[in-house]
Amino acid sequence: MAAVIEERPEDVIYPEVMEAPRYSCALAGAYSTAVGIYGVVPILHSGLGCGIGQLFGQFYAGGQNAGGPQGGTSTPCSGLVEEHVIFGGEDKLRRLIKSSIELMQGDLYAVLSGCVPSLTGDDIESVVKEFREQAPIIYVKTAGFLGNSYEGYELFFEAVIDQLLNKLPIKKGLVNIFGVVPYQHIWWKGNLRAIKEDLQKLGLDVNIIFTEFSGLENLIKIPAAELNIVLSPWNGQRVAKKLEEKFGTPFITLPGVPVGPKQTTRLIQEVSQALNLPTEPVDELIAREERHSYRFEEYFGDVMILAFPQPYFSVVADAGTAVGIAQFLTNEVGYLPDKVIIDDGTPEENREEILRELKENLECVVKPEVIFDEDSHRIRENLKKGNSLVLLASSLEGPIASEFGCVIHVTVSFPSYNRLILDHNYAGYRGGLRLMEDIVSKYCGPL
Amino acid sequence: MRLYLRPILSLSVRAIFACFFINKYQADYYRLSLKSAHFEVAIVTKIRNIAIYGKGGIGKSTTSSNISAALSEEGYKVMQIGCDPKSDSTNTLRGGRFVPTVLDKLRSGKRIETNEIVHEGFNGILCVETGGPEPGVGCAGRGIITAIELLKQKKIIEEFSPDIIIYDVLGDVVCGGFAMPIREGVAEQVYTVSSSDFMSLYASNNLFKGIKKYSKSGGALFSGIIGNSINLPINEEIIQDFAANTKSTIAGFVPRSLTVAKAELQGKTTIEADPDSDQAELYRNLARKIISNESRYVPAPLGTDELKAWAESWYDRLLQHNKNQEQQDTEPVKSDLKYYELKPDSAKAKVK
Repeated sequence: MAAVIEERPEDVIYPEVMEAPRYSCALAGAYSTAVGIYGVVPILHSGLGCGIGQLFGQFYAGGQNAGGPQGGTSTPCSGLVEEHVIFGGEDKLRRLIKSSIELMQGDLYAVLSGCVPSLTGDDIESVVKEFREQAPIIYVKTAGFLGNSYEGYELFFEAVIDQLLNKLPIKKGLVNIFGVVPYQHIWWKGNLRAIKEDLQKLGLDVNIIFTEFSGLENLIKIPAAELNIVLSPWNGQRVAKKLEEKFGTPFITLPGVPVGPKQTTRLIQEVSQALNLPTEPVDELIAREERHSYRFEEYFGDVMILAFPQPYFSVVADAGTAVGIAQFLTNEVGYLPDKVIIDDGTPEENREEILRELKENLECVVKPEVIFDEDSHRIRENLKKGNSLVLLASSLEGPIASEFGCVIHVTVSFPSYNRLILDHNYAGYRGGLRLMEDIVSKYCGPL
Repeated sequence: MRLYLRPILSLSVRAIFACFFINKYQADYYRLSLKSAHFEVAIVTKIRNIAIYGKGGIGKSTTSSNISAALSEEGYKVMQIGCDPKSDSTNTLRGGRFVPTVLDKLRSGKRIETNEIVHEGFNGILCVETGGPEPGVGCAGRGIITAIELLKQKKIIEEFSPDIIIYDVLGDVVCGGFAMPIREGVAEQVYTVSSSDFMSLYASNNLFKGIKKYSKSGGALFSGIIGNSINLPINEEIIQDFAANTKSTIAGFVPRSLTVAKAELQGKTTIEADPDSDQAELYRNLARKIISNESRYVPAPLGTDELKAWAESWYDRLLQHNKNQEQQDTEPVKSDLKYYELKPDSAKAKVK
């Protein structure tokens, strides 16, 4: 019996279904933000699956990272079942907070309430208030259906601002970094460290909030900052605006975490202008760092020209990462942009800015096709129509990159199941060098 | 590999479809034979599932309990299931006492025995209360879904095999939980208890919307409006006009009566407390009418604007009515209470 295989027409678009979106829910974003701050104990007020699901869907997908001592299977969870749906889960939450404070060591407890208590209307606030005397505790109403992981980041910080932060005297030279979402931006740890190191050379006290042992202290000193720096075209903007309204802290926005010398210089210049730093030492710093960085770029000059000079490349990533990588490869290495697919569900109002960065701020006659899409199926269909040798995308595109005519695939965005990412990053003056190492190493060898 | 697997897969898919069709035809066949048996022998061979909806406080529990009591007098084995977190639907069938609810038992975490959730009331009526959360917490809708699923799962209905089940359901069908009794496999016939108040008719209109939605997937159909708290002819006219506008019918009118209030204070239905009263006879007539009513249909709910326009049209007529009344009466009727004081228990059987 002959099998008949019907080929699906390539241009079929299914607007009502989405294949493998590249993020999780709002609860996941708030959860990973909590876990990203050392000493914060997340307390999940949700079904059990909400916790374990994020371990696989958010933490492991974010560069094969575990949740740490308070994340993953160690996270306290109220494990809501039908009984709590019908009768409410406040008692269960009360008992959970009590035992969590007793059993889990932490500097700050963060109750994250999921979909079920949001539907049944549990009064999280009053339960949490009962424990305010016993331990520093906040609550974040982060029903999964409120949005994606990026939304969870904003919700977490909004709760911190409302419930934890108080006005402080401004500390000269203190700046906060926002817009990097733990686990969701897979380079979060390394990116923040690299940016901190580069900005410290300006003599600034850089509060990156995440990864450092002084987690709660970092949170509390947020209002003391002279300036907030948002390293994303849209993530962290709401947080910065809220801080401006409440504490009067001004903020600047960059289109992404800077990759390589040009973008890092732009960051340094914008920060120093905003803080009115004396120009001479800043210019000296820029000259020194750029010289060093470009000297190192010369080392890969030959292999780049001999192997595949000026190839077309495509990027599939969140907005900030996509802009950073596309600008570096186009403006500093001379690669030709083919497609830039932004897969983080960027709100409409922020798209124009991203388009400008990816059209006007690319020093190349070839302009990329910019697509905002989160659906893995449609992303594949778009890549198939492309003409790139180099593909910088998520691990989902890895095994099938050759189908799109790409010879090199490097995982640079969420999810990253095929890459363990601990400290590695593409940020700052030397970040571009590390990106080139990763791309060209795929070509080199094997002997 | 794929090529070899495909035919096998498609064959198995076909087999599954074939099974589905056989089952569907068989089911239709059984249904047909059941129907014919029903008509030929003219006895109730199947449990009659009736849902009674209405706005909170409109008198649906009173009506339901009196209908249950009347039907039990006729010799039917009746089960009344109260679907309201207040869990007071069957109070007047049990001497004013609350019964432990299905969800109370579920919450206790212990094994549920059927005699703990099914309680015998007046004249052997089986009383069940789904129960629900305290006011202001949890999700009552989910509670009703869970309780009804538990009744199915425990095969409570099969165990007691009543002739008639009356579901007394709260409210405006505000969410999926309160629509549970009209979804497939629960009630087949729905009545709504409504006064001539606009908000009460609004609740009925919402119920119609729910029925319309679920009618496409085998849900319950509508059988009539039970007009309650009728004390003036104009109350009847309003409900009749609403029925005409929503392409629905009226199952009967129940006048306001002090007998009912008196019986309720004793924790009894009117039929139990004052069996010889006009009001008791009226409930008996209504019950008989309901049991013989085979009419089932999908009503035509009004849109929000249509409903508003309809209500406004009545507002003017009510104003005119009150004016006329004032002119006619030397002692104008000032309130419902006054009306009762003048004509205590003047209810006459209005069920046609």
